[in-house]
Amino acid sequence: MSRLFFREALARAMAEEMARDPRVILMGQDIAEHGGSYAETRGLFERFGPSRVRNTPVAEAVTVGLAAGAAAAGLRPLAFITYLDFLMLGLDPLVNYAAKLRFKSAGQLTAPMVVKATAGAKGQGPTHAQSIEPWLMNVPGLTVLAPSTAGDAYGLLKSALRASGPVVYIDHKRLFPLGGTVPDDEQTIPIGSAALRRDGRHLTIVAHSYMSVVALEAAALLAASGIEAEVVDLRSLWPIDWQTLADSCRRTGHALFVEEGQEVCGVGAELAFGLRERVDGLRVARLGARRAPVSASPVLEAYTIPDAPRVAEAARRLLG
Amino acid sequence: MIRKFVIPKELGDSIEVRLLQWCKAEGEMVNADEALLEFETDKAIVLVTASQAGVLRRRFFNDGDWMKPGDVAAWLSDQADEALPAADAVLDDTLLVTFDAT
Repeated sequence: MSRLFFREALARAMAEEMARDPRVILMGQDIAEHGGSYAETRGLFERFGPSRVRNTPVAEAVTVGLAAGAAAAGLRPLAFITYLDFLMLGLDPLVNYAAKLRFKSAGQLTAPMVVKATAGAKGQGPTHAQSIEPWLMNVPGLTVLAPSTAGDAYGLLKSALRASGPVVYIDHKRLFPLGGTVPDDEQTIPIGSAALRRDGRHLTIVAHSYMSVVALEAAALLAASGIEAEVVDLRSLWPIDWQTLADSCRRTGHALFVEEGQEVCGVGAELAFGLRERVDGLRVARLGARRAPVSASPVLEAYTIPDAPRVAEAARRLLG
Repeated sequence: MIRKFVIPKELGDSIEVRLLQWCKAEGEMVNADEALLEFETDKAIVLVTASQAGVLRRRFFNDGDWMKPGDVAAWLSDQADEALPAADAVLDDTLLVTFDAT
């Protein structure tokens, strides 16, 4: 295992997949000579050249549309959307074209493309910091991934670039300053597999992306007062690893769903319903952002988004 | 006098940094305006240059190690033979340096 910055894990995944498959191309704003908004494509333009690492204009609908067309025509494009918020501009080609292509063509055409976007609040305000991944989970035909560690980002991005249909890979601004261990040999992580991050017997905390980091901090707070929380990191929002989740919930009998986005029609709402169908007597609670846009004020941003003390408090409430 | 060099806490959002390389060996003289070490954040490569001379006496990390803002990375002394305190001693004086980020 090597310790890498989050961006380095991504760069390695892309470089390996581009070397393995000449159909993989990258397209996005500032990804060529500049090396990417998060320095995650540094070195790839120099190595793979301008035909495979392409800058695009500030026009997300065009970027996603081009990627969908290129995918249908036989390439495997990875389209970068700097902030997940801006994917709103590219939803029509993603949802109405790419995600439905296999269904509309009776399997004659597919769109093996990846949209990589960065979500999350870190001082960017109401239109550059949202977590809208449940919107995407709602779309038949889309795979939605959201890792929380450098190692998972590496393994999942590789799987995404080999997948048969459109994948939205979502990371988080607060994950980039963190280092993480990545296997030295080439490995992938299967899509649809959650990870058990911490064992516990009193409740299960389910989270994804940066909230998995927060959930682990909350579990440490709870442990200090004798509450043992199991933490499950979803990694894949669609498909959902019901087996891992249900197994954990059967052990603990209590599930707290934590997300950075809105609770209404959120990840937790879907998971709570699905797990109540699968686990008899399961008690559930959810914690998401307060019902307001992400604020440009650091004070209000922190007030809106769940943090470890609020997660721990929600866990104590759930356990009664 | 023995002075410490501390990884600065004013590194934006950085939580961890990686030591790329020492530019001097232990026991070597570091003159003012000479590079001491180079480290990497999640966004930038930072070259640390001494603004005052000293002998590099102790390096607390090796090339490739991960460090945190606030970590003491090195001790330097005015004289090569000044006695050093125990490794866990907390020094008050800080080496003056400049940072160049690329």
